[in-house]
Amino acid sequence: MIPPVITDAVMYANLLILLSTGFTLTYLTAKIPNFAHATFAGIGMYVTFTVFKIWKLDPYIAAPIAFIIGAGFGAFIYVVVIGTLKKYGATLISITISTLAIEIIVLAIINIYADYIQASLAIVSRWFMFRYADFEFMGEPGVLTVSTTLAGLLIIGFHLMLTKTRFGIQMRATVEDSALASVLGVNVELVSTVSWLLTGGLAGLAGSLLPLWLQGSPLVGERILISVFASSILGGISSIYGAMLGGYLIGLTEVLGTVALMDVLGSWVSAYRLLIPLTVMAMVLLRAPRGVVGIIEGIQARGLSVRRILRLKR
Amino acid sequence: MIDIGLLINIIIDVLAFLAIYLILAVSLNLQYGYTGIPNFGLALSAAGGAYVTGALTGRIAMTIYGVGEGLDFMSDNTKITELINARLSHDPLMGILIFILIIAIAAVINAGLGYIASRPAIKLRADYLMMTLIAMAEAARVIGLNYYPLVGGTFWVHVPDLFAWMGDMRNVGVCLVIFAISLIVFLAVQVMVTSPYGRLLRAVRDNEVTAECVGKDVVKIRTKVIIIGSVIASLAGVLYSFHLQTVLAAAFKRTDWTFWPWLMVMVGGPSNNIGGAVGTLVVILTRRMIIYYKHYFEAYVPFEVIWLEQIMLGLALILIMVFRPQGLIPEKPTRVRGLPTKPSQKPREKSKEA
Repeated sequence: MIPPVITDAVMYANLLILLSTGFTLTYLTAKIPNFAHATFAGIGMYVTFTVFKIWKLDPYIAAPIAFIIGAGFGAFIYVVVIGTLKKYGATLISITISTLAIEIIVLAIINIYADYIQASLAIVSRWFMFRYADFEFMGEPGVLTVSTTLAGLLIIGFHLMLTKTRFGIQMRATVEDSALASVLGVNVELVSTVSWLLTGGLAGLAGSLLPLWLQGSPLVGERILISVFASSILGGISSIYGAMLGGYLIGLTEVLGTVALMDVLGSWVSAYRLLIPLTVMAMVLLRAPRGVVGIIEGIQARGLSVRRILRLKR
Repeated sequence: MIDIGLLINIIIDVLAFLAIYLILAVSLNLQYGYTGIPNFGLALSAAGGAYVTGALTGRIAMTIYGVGEGLDFMSDNTKITELINARLSHDPLMGILIFILIIAIAAVINAGLGYIASRPAIKLRADYLMMTLIAMAEAARVIGLNYYPLVGGTFWVHVPDLFAWMGDMRNVGVCLVIFAISLIVFLAVQVMVTSPYGRLLRAVRDNEVTAECVGKDVVKIRTKVIIIGSVIASLAGVLYSFHLQTVLAAAFKRTDWTFWPWLMVMVGGPSNNIGGAVGTLVVILTRRMIIYYKHYFEAYVPFEVIWLEQIMLGLALILIMVFRPQGLIPEKPTRVRGLPTKPSQKPREKSKEA
């Protein structure tokens, strides 16, 4: 039996990986932090809500649906809003502001949906949690296995895509230098659209799994967004692998750190959980603004590769 | 027929909100429009100002008047506020003194908050700063919502009416005070940006490398502007709390205190204070219209009208970005005191010919 604290931490870290990988991917291709990112997860949450509460189906059926809706929505945002703004020559800062507007619009739409359900079907449509609907796998909640598997698949899948496929290499080329990539025949627009599609899908997926372990509500996304920022920044913001590592580190520190502090200082600490990723973020920016990736590169630049250290030992 | 008293109240309400948001728009314009700092943490300063007002006004007045012996400030808040208000209604001098004191404390505390919040990312690219500041504003809200002694957590705290001595004219009086302060801030920033310092700010915005080359410390200038901007924005929080006579931590949402000011500045035209004022007027009037007429909508839609308002204004921002990124009133070459009124075009043409 795994202690519930560990389950909590791993679950949260898995969700953060799904979110921070997507966040970093859009940052790399569009060069802007997408403030609307966490609202994709909000959409996923309400897909699960609809599937489970209204259609009375298994909540896991919502996962692929949430992925598709999130993906479609991500691509829609990129093509319609970001693409148009780029075409009209908007600066990166104004595109970023527009993502804040998108966040507010999507949040309003989710809230309208929640209000509508509450009014027409008389079901409580905020602060829901479906832990009781989950299956058990080896004595543990099923969502733990599912989310860990998904996070693992995501890491392996991304690695294979970026290193072994033509499209992944095109994606890396676009990230490095989109002008040069397009000269070499890479369809930069397509690469960007696909990366937004993946981002939206992954965030939708994370959102659809969230209510199986945590409380879901339209405002949850706003809260998680800070942890996503922290994960991405800790990972060096411009590295997919860094974001994955950052997601795990922030997820575990946030949950385990809160529990540890609660032991020392008392249970009131749990309300200020948000301050942990915020502090990590501030420390990283102050001390090592390029995050884990920067630290690793710094070590490599001094000629200290892992291989060499091992050889020295031998 | 139309009730005159109600009409006056509506006008006062709109004017007060206009003045409060004008302060925020001016603060943002100074930071983003003139210096190019995308401050996404305006809600932090507004909340900071309101928290200072909520936490300190009552406590200071309580100590000065010695009322409420044996009462707890938070749990007997309504009673204490009533006692203080009774004393304040005969004591204009003390009311004004406390008002000035609160503004001063809020300014000092928010200057510090602005410095701390911007410190981690001030030397880095703009997107880091945006993320940090938005996170800091969220943290301020979380602290306000959970730390009960500050402003009552999920409840609220009453702010003693420092203008109780105005009697029946209290609402009009407070509105005038807010308006006067707003005007002073507007003019002060206007003077600042038309001075040589304003030129320096625009140099930092347009090309920081050049600014550094001529020996200007860009990070220092940015820090200064963020501190000034935070102090100005905190005034909005202070005045808002005195206007409503309550502070509610849950009210300091990103939408209301960061997004609306951004929308105002973008509508009116960044780096243009007049534009900022026009933008504020447009947005506030639209919002207030929706609020006053919302019961007409409410009969037809099965959800709260506030969401519709958010969708509309969110779309408005995107449309403005696409079709009129320079805003309603675009930036003009600013007249700088001591230089000819019209910048002559001749040298540029000459260089083209050559």
